[in-house]
Order: sequence, then C-alpha cells, then structure tokens
Amino acid sequence: MSEARAQGPLRRAARRVGIRLLSALPALFGVLVFTFILMRVLPGDPAVFFAAGAAGGQAEIEMVRQQMGLDRPLPEQLLRYLWDVARGELGMSMTTGQPVRTDLLERLPASLELTFAALLLALGLALPLGVLAALRPGSPVDHLVRFLCTLGVCVPTFVSGLLLVYVFYYLLAWAPDPTGRLDVFAATPPGITGFLLVDFALVRDWEGWRAAAAQIVLPASTMALFVLAPLARMTRASMLAVLGSEFIRTARSLGLSGRRVVLVYALRNALIPVLTISGIVFSTMLGANVLVEKVFSWPGVASYALDALLASDYAPVQGFVLLMAAIFVAVNLLVDLLYGVADPRASVA
Amino acid sequence: MEVNRRGLLAAGGSAAALLAASREAGAQTRAETLRYVTGNVINTLDPTVPGATRESFGLSMNVYDRLAAFGRRQFEGNWVFDHNSIRGELAERIERSPDGLRFTFVLREGATWHDGTPVTAEDVKWSLDRTVSARSLAPPQMQLGSITRPEQFRILGPRAVEMLLDKPDRLALSNTCVPYAIMVNSTLAKRHATADDPWALNWMRDNAAAGGAYIVETHRPGQQTVLRRNDAWKGGPLPQFRRIIIQTVPEPATRASLVERGDADLCIDLSPSDVQALSQRGRVKVVSIPQTNGFTHISMNNRMAPFDDLRVRQAIAAALPYQDLFQAALFGRGRALFGAGWSGSPPSSDFPQPMPLRQDLDGARELLRQSGHPNGFSTTFTIGVGISPWAEPMAALVREALGRIGIQVEIRKLPDAQFNTAQAERTLPFYTEGGTAWLPATYYFFRLYFTRPQRWNFASFDNAEMNALVEQAQFETDPAAYERQAKRMIEILNEQVPLLLMWQPLHEAVMAQNMDGYTYQFYRQADFRDLRRV
Repeated sequence: MSEARAQGPLRRAARRVGIRLLSALPALFGVLVFTFILMRVLPGDPAVFFAAGAAGGQAEIEMVRQQMGLDRPLPEQLLRYLWDVARGELGMSMTTGQPVRTDLLERLPASLELTFAALLLALGLALPLGVLAALRPGSPVDHLVRFLCTLGVCVPTFVSGLLLVYVFYYLLAWAPDPTGRLDVFAATPPGITGFLLVDFALVRDWEGWRAAAAQIVLPASTMALFVLAPLARMTRASMLAVLGSEFIRTARSLGLSGRRVVLVYALRNALIPVLTISGIVFSTMLGANVLVEKVFSWPGVASYALDALLASDYAPVQGFVLLMAAIFVAVNLLVDLLYGVADPRASVA
Repeated sequence: MEVNRRGLLAAGGSAAALLAASREAGAQTRAETLRYVTGNVINTLDPTVPGATRESFGLSMNVYDRLAAFGRRQFEGNWVFDHNSIRGELAERIERSPDGLRFTFVLREGATWHDGTPVTAEDVKWSLDRTVSARSLAPPQMQLGSITRPEQFRILGPRAVEMLLDKPDRLALSNTCVPYAIMVNSTLAKRHATADDPWALNWMRDNAAAGGAYIVETHRPGQQTVLRRNDAWKGGPLPQFRRIIIQTVPEPATRASLVERGDADLCIDLSPSDVQALSQRGRVKVVSIPQTNGFTHISMNNRMAPFDDLRVRQAIAAALPYQDLFQAALFGRGRALFGAGWSGSPPSSDFPQPMPLRQDLDGARELLRQSGHPNGFSTTFTIGVGISPWAEPMAALVREALGRIGIQVEIRKLPDAQFNTAQAERTLPFYTEGGTAWLPATYYFFRLYFTRPQRWNFASFDNAEMNALVEQAQFETDPAAYERQAKRMIEILNEQVPLLLMWQPLHEAVMAQNMDGYTYQFYRQADFRDLRRV
C-alpha cells in the first residue's frame, strides 16, 4: 500500500515527461524541414566549393553533387533525409569526411563539458555577487557588481579569450597551450562518457585529470565572464523582490537569524527566475560559444557547424540545428523539473 | 555488483599505468617529434576523394609514395621544388623511349607496404588503373597528361611496369608525381572494395593502404592526425623526424603564439601581419618563398559587356596603381608580375613572368572614350571572404583608382562557397583571386587558365589562336618550336589583357629556429620528409 502511494506521483511525473517529449516532436520536425529548406535556399553550391581540384571542371562538380545526393529533385532529397533521420543517420560531412552522427557524438561531450564548466563557474560567481548586491542596493558592492557585469557583457568573447591566452599562456606561461581539450603529448583516457574530467576520474588518473582541468580553465572562464551579467542581474532583481515581500518581513519579525532568512527563505524563492535564465543561458552558450571554441581550438559542435556553414555543407548544419533543438527541449524540461525542487508548488505542466 | 566494481577498479588501475608509461615515452621523443599546426583540416586520407582539402594532399605526399617525384633546387637562398628534374620514388629507374611514347618504371628492390608485404608490379598496375578509372579527382588531372585508359599501363615483369602514350605529351611523366597518383597496396584495398565501390574509395577515405615515408598512427578528422616514421621506407633518404603531430588550430593568433613559444614547430598559414611581427621579434625562423607556380590576378569577364571590349580592358589595365595595390594588399611581400620593361615579345618563355603593365591615367581615359564610355560605367568588384585580409584593401584602391576615370565600382564580398559558385557559373563581371598550377609549364598554365569553358578560365577567355597554340604545344617535341609557341601565348595575354597579372604572393613558413630544409612544394604544403632539426 505504501509502495503504491510512493509510486503514484512518480508515475504521474513520468507520464507528464513523456507527454512533454511527445509534444516536442512536431516542433523538432518543423525545425528539421525548415533547416533543410533554408540551407538549400541560401546561395552557394557545396558541390562547387568542394570540387576544387586543379583540373576541376563541370564533370568534377557533377561528381560531388551526385556524391552528396544533390542531383535528385528536392522533395526526394527531403524524403531521403527524413528516412535517414528516422534511422538515426544524419548524412555525411564533406568538411571532415565523416558521418555527421559520428562527428556530433564525438564533439558534443566536448561542448557540453565546456558549457557545464562555464555555467558552474558563472553560477558560482553570479549567485553570491547577486545576493550581495541585493542586500545592499546602491552600495559600492552593488556598483562593483554592476561594473563587473557590464565589463563581462561588453567585451566580446574572442577578445577576452585572446586576452586570457596572451596573458596566461603567452606572457606568464601559467596555462598550457590553448589547443583543445588535452595536451597533444598527453595520452587520452579510455572513452567512457566522452567527458574527459569524468573519464579521468573514473580511471583514477589524477595527473591526466589535472591536465584536462588546466585546459578547460581559460575557455570556461571566458564563457563564464560573458554570461555573468544575466545571471547576476537576475539574481539581484529576484532577490530584491523577494526580500521586500511579506513572508520575509514576518520571518525577520519572528527573530530568525539574518543568514537563515536570506539563504533559506529568500534565496530559495528567488531561484526560480534564475533557473529559467540558466536554462536559456545554457542552451545559448552551447550553440553560441563558437568564438571561444575557435580561439581555444576546442573541438566542439559550434565551430563544427560554423565551418560547415561557411562551406555550404548541408548535412552537418542540419544535424547541428536538430541537435540543438533537441537539447533545448531537454534543457527546458529539466528546468521545469528543477522548479519542483526549488518550489514544491510548481509542477511539470 | 561487487565483482563489477572490483573489475572496473582493476581496469582503471591498469589503464592509468599504461597512460603513465606512454606519457614518459612521449617526453623522450619530443626532439624527434614535429608538431605542425594548421588552420585547415584533413578530411580524407585518400587525396583523390572529391572534396579533399589541400591539407589532405599534403598528408598523402608523406604517407603514400608515387612512382616519381620532383626534385628541388635553390632559389634566392631557399629550397623550391623543381619540376624539370624528375627522379624515381617508388621506381628506382625511369626509362623514356626516344619518341617519348613509352615510359618504363623499374620498381625499387625490397620495397614494402606499411603492412610489410612486398610491393608488386600488380599493385602498381592497379594503382595506375585507379587513377584513370575511379570516380575521383584523379582522372581529370591524368587526362591533362594524355593518360586516360587502363590499357596504357602494362606489366613487364615482377618489378617493371610501362606506361604507353598515343602522343608524346610533355607532362605525362610529371603527372605521375602529383598527389593524385598514389601507389596503393592493392591486396589490402581490394579486400575493402565493394561492387559499388570497386576502387575502395570509401574505405581509403579513413584508412591508408600505403607504403610511404610515414604511417598514419591516429587520424581524428578536423582535430589531429599523428604520423609515425616508416623505418623500412626505400623511396628516398630516411626522414629525421620519427613522429609528426598535425593539429588543427583554427585561430591564427593562437597558432602564432604556439610557434613563438616553441610549443609548435611549424606553421605555414599565419596572417601576414603576424608573420611580420614574428620575424621582427626574431624568436622564430621565417622562410619566405615566392609561390613560383602561382599568381594573383584581377579578372574581367570577357564574355560580358563592357569587358568584352578590348579597349575597356586596356583602359582598366592602364588605370590601376599597381605598386600601391601591391603595398596595400601584401605590404609588397611577394614577386611583382607588373611593371616589366618589354613590349612585343617577352624575354623568356617562362610563366608567370612580369607583364608590361603600368598606370597611365590619360591613356586610360582616351581608351575609355574610344570604347564609347566617355563618362565611364558602373560595375561590381567581387572578393571572397577567405581572401578578404589582402583583397579588401586592394578592392578599396581599385574603386578609388577607377573612380578617377569615371568607372563606378561597387565592392561585393561573398562567402567562399557563394563566391566559388558565382565564379563557376561565370556571373562575376570583375573580381580578384589567386591561382596555382601544380605543373608550372607555360602551356599548362595557359591551357588551365585561358582556354575552354571551365571554371579555372577565370576571365572566360576564348581566343582561337590561343586554343590552337595550347593544343600544339602539349605534344611539341622540338624545344625551339615549343619556346616560340610559349612566347606567343604570353604575347597574346599582353595584347588581349583578358585578366591582369598582379603578383606572386609569398609562401611563408614559420618554424622553430633549429629547423632546416623547408622546401616550397607545388601543392603548397609542408613535406615533412624534407625537414630536420640541426
């Protein structure tokens, strides 16, 4: 009896998650078709771009076109593509010469690891800064936080990235060379999860773990600086609203300690908008950190998609957009689930 | 549960020990390792696959052997390839019949593939057949050397293969030196061939069936490729570097820092401003070699009004400030192809060579008036994003200079794929770009860039005399007659100005101070076999 009672809410939650995922399918399908058409409407013929041999004439262009399946009528191409996607195939990339699925599977962990690290770093900075600023609005602390946030937003990521490389790698030599996830001379861990920090920890290779961590510090800091502003500002605004509400006044009048009031009652209630914005920031970072990936030679999905886009290479761009859409759906769902943790009154709708 | 966890821990422990061991080995061989950083990617191990990048061509030269190879010569203190001296690579000896219709290749004794199996005449025959039969980039290139059918290749014995020609093509042998003419371990490749793909193009994209100086150890497309020296290599003197790490580093500023800090040993695609700064600071070695087989040009579409009028083309040729363009685009770093003193007939039959182009504004205005455009006209000047670092300042100057004779120029910047598409469709009226010919013979340049309705005919030039000359020169066996024909081609270029030759940019390789032997190769990539530390 007690077991059934425990399972009830869980099962209901699972059903809601299932419904949410199913209802996302039409949106994903729309994204798929839209990207497919958009790529073909854009000027620029991938066959011409890739048929760059010295003797490259029309015959060679036709050969590439045929290889990419572009010689078929558009509706047939779309149907073939949909059939491929349904089987989990995303086509071939001309830019890397590999199946898009292989490329994305290899590169997604790199992007996710970097984004997670950056988000953790940003939240670790933004929450205390936002809370401090909200506790003393108008004070020097508040102004300092505002200054830091403005700076972070104003400086484009490739500038701050190059600056960090220049100072910490070129001048001081504190950071390892900014070329990817691991020193070229270091051995890679067995690919268990694809997240280097996790994989090194799993095989207890702490020297390798330190090497991987050293590589991620600069790019993660660059990205964290950039998203510091929305997170800190949102924390501040939300905290200000909560601190002015009646239940806080009640708590204070009941003589609860200031620490308890701020950290337990106020912060927990102020977290919901911060969670929402974190979800958005995360999805944005994953796709938009292309400049950081370029500067640090980080083998992520965003720089992969950009290279493909510049070459009019259809399949990788389509695969990337689909992946991003799927991640966006997943992140939103996760954020909704976290609402329930932060505020038990909220439930997955 | 318990067993699983223990198993995992044990596996983890041994993996960690392995990692530690390989890290030690890595430290020992740093001096014998060359780390090469590039902004481009290697997208296939088989250079003949359609879409292969230039970086893939460079890799294949190190991993595969060809029957023959170009030698190298000193040019202004640097090493450059020499297409006039051809030596055997997989072939120990090459014999040419007096009529130039038969080449006999005698294979090196004891030559082996990377898997240790001996190189046979059957392998060579299969490889040559592949270059003319597979649906790849190779056949169109081989055709330029009159190599078109498998019947042209015959096995003479266990170590001898011959190539037969219908006509004595000047460049038939040269075509056996290009990146497409790889020699393949046919037993291995055939194991992975299918009915749809009899030449194993799909398999060889990710796997090497080679016998060259380096063995591919790991290949992660778009990221990094590691090569190990093939100690059993017979194709030439054993290279010094035991290990090569080829790494893609997209950001040019990062590549510059890596080389300057000594973490990378070689980079050949830095931005010109970085190269200048690096050479001033003097912590690295900069090797600057004019790209002797290339040229930058300003092209006019000869089939499109108003550029179909010779006088309009001549007016533009007379209106441009060549020296200023050269300074603005490349800080003058290169070899000028304008401002020559000759008129009528060129001093030599070499190409590209400086043309008698110079600014003469009054002459330009007069020509424009004669052509029926006394008040000028409007046109667009197109540049590709990829070349914008040097083309953008150049375009601004072109606009200013032509504005002075009344021609309104609008500058259009297109992403590379769009630029290439428009170029191939011949819809660009007026644009700039560069060209490089693998085989820098004069007639080959003119055939590739000034005849036939194909993409590399930049100006859509169609001149009956030029077409006939190119046909003739390809099979001309009399050196004096060939010289006359080649000079005439250059004269036609000067008379008709289908496009304007500007300069040969520098190929700038930045490397560690202790590196030596860097050679400029016709495919514009580093040949690791030439390099050593001193």
